[in-house]
Amino acid sequence: MKKNMDRAKKTLTDVLELPLDVALDLPKITIIGDMRVEIINHKGIIQYTNELIRINTNIGVVKITGNSMEIKNILIEEISIDGSIESVEIIS
Amino acid sequence: MLVIKIWNYFKGYVIIRIKGLSLERLLNLALVEDIYLWNVKRLSNMEIEASVSIIGYNNLEELVNKTGCKIEIKERMGFPFLLERLKKRKMLGFGVLFFIIFTIFLSSMIWEVEIIGTEQISENEIIGILKNNDVKIGKFKKHIDKNQIQRAIFDKYDNISFLDIRTTGVKLILEIKEQDITLEKIDRTQPCNIVAGKKGVILKTVAKNGKALVEKGKIVEEGDILISGVMDSENSDESYLVHAEGEVLAQVRYSKTIEMPIIKHEKKETGKVYKQKGLKVKEKGIKFFAGDIPFENYIEEIDEKDIIKLRWPKINIPLKMITHIYREVELKEIKQDIDFLKKSAQLKAIEEINKELPNDSEIISKDAIYSVEDNILKAKITMEVIEDIGKIQTISD
Repeated sequence: MKKNMDRAKKTLTDVLELPLDVALDLPKITIIGDMRVEIINHKGIIQYTNELIRINTNIGVVKITGNSMEIKNILIEEISIDGSIESVEIIS
Repeated sequence: MLVIKIWNYFKGYVIIRIKGLSLERLLNLALVEDIYLWNVKRLSNMEIEASVSIIGYNNLEELVNKTGCKIEIKERMGFPFLLERLKKRKMLGFGVLFFIIFTIFLSSMIWEVEIIGTEQISENEIIGILKNNDVKIGKFKKHIDKNQIQRAIFDKYDNISFLDIRTTGVKLILEIKEQDITLEKIDRTQPCNIVAGKKGVILKTVAKNGKALVEKGKIVEEGDILISGVMDSENSDESYLVHAEGEVLAQVRYSKTIEMPIIKHEKKETGKVYKQKGLKVKEKGIKFFAGDIPFENYIEEIDEKDIIKLRWPKINIPLKMITHIYREVELKEIKQDIDFLKKSAQLKAIEEINKELPNDSEIISKDAIYSVEDNILKAKITMEVIEDIGKIQTISD
């Protein structure tokens, strides 16, 4: 049932050409080079170390690995991570 | 973002260290409580470092107690903390304030008076006028009445065509333009005669005012009255005085005698040089090797050199190395060409006469007489010139 709802929403946003992240309440993950990852619309930090950061979102857990990572900014909607990024993985 | 950084700086923020096990939970709680954290660094498993605003810090403390973490302030940053530190050093703040006020105070005064463009009027006189109007160094700029100064200067001098007074920084600049030609004031009420300034033969007399006393062909001596300011009354025997005016053209003779030796002594260097070195301290000289100069005829040259030359600071050290150079010369007698000498004598004489001639004169003749006496050529040049010889002489009784 929920899947059907999601599919309907997706079709509607496609038809109306609305931005997906706004319409479907999805996180927007931006990767800038290998230096920064920005996640808008996240649901909190699960784990935070220098090598591994896990962030909860609507679509699952976003796992970021890298070296000497630090959280540049952390706000209710937005988080930005600086450091040398090696991988960004979505585990749903 | 720079704007946020500047904002944070002015609001003040603290760098904190949080120790504990459930640090992620603390971060999430901070998010929910809307506490803005930035520059979050992981130091170890148990410890993170973060920056937080002052208000955020107070809120964070409550959360820290809930989660059982420990929080400590590592560094206080920003303007409010700087201000607090400065409050303890009141004299520094006072000094800064004093400096600013003192600078403003000093820069609102006149420290220099510059006068541009004066040629005939002396600057000291203008400074004197300024002083009379209470404008001097140390006067406040806003107390200067420019119009008053302008009026005072214009009152005193007639030949100023333009005057601009302005203040640039701490300088008072007076720009003055003088009139190039000052109109000569002729006092026509003063009775006078026109007398001869030179000896000459009168060619023409034009009396605009007064009575002409000389006619064409008359020879006048210096000081003779040419146009009289004393007029006879037609009706009575009494006479009255006028300001005589007119033009008196006369033929004036100028002569000049130039002497030139025919045999000229010429010095010729033989090439032999004798040098003496010496030292000079201030004005006193010391010769190192005093000895007789081995030449009969010589030219002496003195060459001075600074021993120590300082480019900076510019101090003149009065210690100089002196080299006396004596060059031997041979005397020779040379007989010059007489024709050439005559020409050069004539040219020299004409040049000298020309210096004496007034501007509006007209040369009518030129004559030269030469004579040779004891190896000396004498050239007498005579020039005849038409010029106005009139000179004003006031009548005083």
